[in-house]
Amino acid sequence: MSGIVDFLFWVFAVAAVVTGWLVFRTDSMVRAAYWLMASFVAVGAILVTLDAQFLGLILILMMAGEMTIMAIFMVMYMMNPAGLNPMTMVHQHRTAAVAGAGAFVALALVGLLADFPDRPAPSGTDPTVDLGVELLGESMLVFESAGVALLAVMIGAIALVSKRGRYGDADEGSEEPILEKTE
Amino acid sequence: MSPAWAVALVGVLLMVSVYLVAVMETIFGLRVSGVRGYGRAWALPMSRAALLLSQRRSVTERPDAQAWALAPALLGGLGAVALTAIPLAAGVEVADVDAGIVLFGAALVQVMVAVFLHGWAANSLFPVLGAFRMAALALSVSIPFSLVVITTALPAESLSVGLIISSQESLWNVVRQPLGLPIYLITGLGFSFWAPLQLPDARDLSGGTSAEVSGAALLVWRVARASILVAVAAMGAAAFLGGYLGPWLPGWLWMAVKTFGLLAILVWSGHRIARPRMETAVKLGWTVLLPLALVDVFVSGALTL
Repeated sequence: MSGIVDFLFWVFAVAAVVTGWLVFRTDSMVRAAYWLMASFVAVGAILVTLDAQFLGLILILMMAGEMTIMAIFMVMYMMNPAGLNPMTMVHQHRTAAVAGAGAFVALALVGLLADFPDRPAPSGTDPTVDLGVELLGESMLVFESAGVALLAVMIGAIALVSKRGRYGDADEGSEEPILEKTE
Repeated sequence: MSPAWAVALVGVLLMVSVYLVAVMETIFGLRVSGVRGYGRAWALPMSRAALLLSQRRSVTERPDAQAWALAPALLGGLGAVALTAIPLAAGVEVADVDAGIVLFGAALVQVMVAVFLHGWAANSLFPVLGAFRMAALALSVSIPFSLVVITTALPAESLSVGLIISSQESLWNVVRQPLGLPIYLITGLGFSFWAPLQLPDARDLSGGTSAEVSGAALLVWRVARASILVAVAAMGAAAFLGGYLGPWLPGWLWMAVKTFGLLAILVWSGHRIARPRMETAVKLGWTVLLPLALVDVFVSGALTL
């Protein structure tokens, strides 16, 4: 059994890296966003193989909405009508190459030199229960503050963009054109 | 269950259920048209499928060919994955996942990706509008959907669908959490973009994401869409109607009766309720279903304590 799990771990690890690389090899904003999602799905699958089922599945669940929203925002900001025209996903080649190589070397050094703890989890623990106790126990203040702050941001963003229509609510008509009365 | 058996079982179950959904769709369609005699309802879906198989595929200018071809496969695959999380009878679990209900939710939310890609890849106006509609629709229904689904885990004190079913031995969740099933069915219609919430593929967009699709590809897309509806109904039966629990009849038969009962309600509503406008659907999700789903969570949580 553990042989299959090890094999799947490597399959998903390679998939995460390859799909992450493909993000920069495509010419479509939507493809780039969904290659990134595929990379995150592979990371979620790795978490599942590491016995963190809940965390892995919730990562896969969250990424669908997040990457779709990201794709739509990219299309909106690029002023590319509907985003259907091909466009390059990379720019500033030299800076990007230096930054990428530097980040790779730094992370590889951390991976090779850091002293990782070797504490196998005691068998019989349920990671989901541990996570719930952590979120609503010791770390409750931190997580709840972050949650309430994010909720406030969401409500604020909706309040900023929601518009009332010509005849009332947004679903009841278009906005009245701005007409200035000239003398 | 061994993987080979699981794949075969899920495949056969989906094929049979999708065919029965098509039959139901035809019967309700004939009924609202005032046509008598439903005998041909069994053959009509097959002849329609044969017609689609014999049509040629339409092509657009510079489509994203890979995503266009793979989006229906992704959609059907998500229906199959969602179905694996649901025990079909006592002890008959395709995949015994501890966090089964999260697996189901993850598969359903990814439907948004499949439909978005399907609309996007055609490189054409109406399909891409359908794709944007799917994003708005799925985001509006996904939070109430997740809330009512996760609320069924409260009495069971577990995310496993098997334990959620066995927690309903004394009382079904449809009684214990009366807000749950109606919200679940409405949002489930949204996720399977089935009438009356077929907004991404609606007629006012000439078919939306499938406006440029014809022939076998359209058949695969419709079958995949129906498989999502089947998974939604099966989970509705398991999470709210006690799944395979019931007297006299064997468990798998109870599960089938409940699933097809819910499917009949869903398909019937598509023929009876008018399609809302996009704005109305989004407003329904955020200002009606979401607060009601929160009430469901808080009341059920308080009762569980």
